[in-house]
Amino acid sequence: MKKILIILLLAGLGFYIATTYTGIGFGEPHFKHGVKDTYLKQTVQSLHVANTVTAIVVNFRGFDTLGEVTVLFLAVTALGSILYKKRHEVGVRSVLFSSSSIVTAGSKLLFPAIILLGAYVFIHGHLTPGGGFQGGVIIATGFLLMLLAYRNYSVSHIILSIVESIAGITFAGIGLLGLIYGETFLQNFLPVGVLNNVFSGGIIPIIYIAVGFKVAAELTGVIYTILHEKGESNG
Amino acid sequence: MSAMEIIGAILLLIGSAFLFLGGLGIYRMPDTYNRLQAGTKATTLGAMSLILGVGFLEPSWMIKTLIIIIFIAYSNPISSHALARANYKRKHFPLILHGDVKEMDAYREVTEKEENKEEKK
Repeated sequence: MKKILIILLLAGLGFYIATTYTGIGFGEPHFKHGVKDTYLKQTVQSLHVANTVTAIVVNFRGFDTLGEVTVLFLAVTALGSILYKKRHEVGVRSVLFSSSSIVTAGSKLLFPAIILLGAYVFIHGHLTPGGGFQGGVIIATGFLLMLLAYRNYSVSHIILSIVESIAGITFAGIGLLGLIYGETFLQNFLPVGVLNNVFSGGIIPIIYIAVGFKVAAELTGVIYTILHEKGESNG
Repeated sequence: MSAMEIIGAILLLIGSAFLFLGGLGIYRMPDTYNRLQAGTKATTLGAMSLILGVGFLEPSWMIKTLIIIIFIAYSNPISSHALARANYKRKHFPLILHGDVKEMDAYREVTEKEENKEEKK
């Protein structure tokens, strides 16, 4: 009886969603006025960016994105400071059993493919769906695969923090350069290029590459810290 | 409809049928190994023929779809192997072992030998 009710409810919900969306033609404007017209015109005409979401996130609301990156950094720092309570004891991983040779051999070939996909996602952030955050997370999953497959795989925390710092400095520095060469913080000062090219969109690709490296380094650090936390050291 | 479109549509139908059967199998099967069996069939035959059907419908995407198929054929067996092995190592043995039939489980002897070796070390 419960299952039938659930199925009926889901069917009703699906019917409602389907009827709602069939009313809107594909690609037709369904909101008459608003700020989106300005955004849509500006992204294609003056900024030459194919992906409107990226243009809004990085260019029109770039300061907000800088804040989001800072929030992520603070969260990672807080997590690290909690888990690193007994720093000298950290380093032993609680592994139930080591991975089989199929997994270790397979992850060797999968790891570069995952890194390539992540780099593709954040380099083409202004052309295709995706961007710095998504690409960084994909790269971090590649490191997670290696950490799960190899018992002794280690990531240098010094290199991670250097990469993270350089990426953060690049983001803030581009913002300051916009203040110097333009009028406001994070203003576009580079040539916008041709629409649908990799080298287009002014500062957007550079910022997204920096964000990608930063997110990848931070999340890899989080994964490494969690995996190397000693199970029994609760304070 | 051209021949390519018909082949693509048939492949899409086969793929969606296998994906449906895979989902049903995950719901119906009794233990992890049988469920993995159903799930891997869904991804290998279902997803592969679905993607190949898309390649037949849009011939300019054919190379990309073949690359995706190679990726699935490479990564799916590894992941299902890792799942089954982790499940076995956590002492969730196949259901048939709870009866009197024990000759099916050749892997158990191997793993027990390995564990004994590790303990001796």
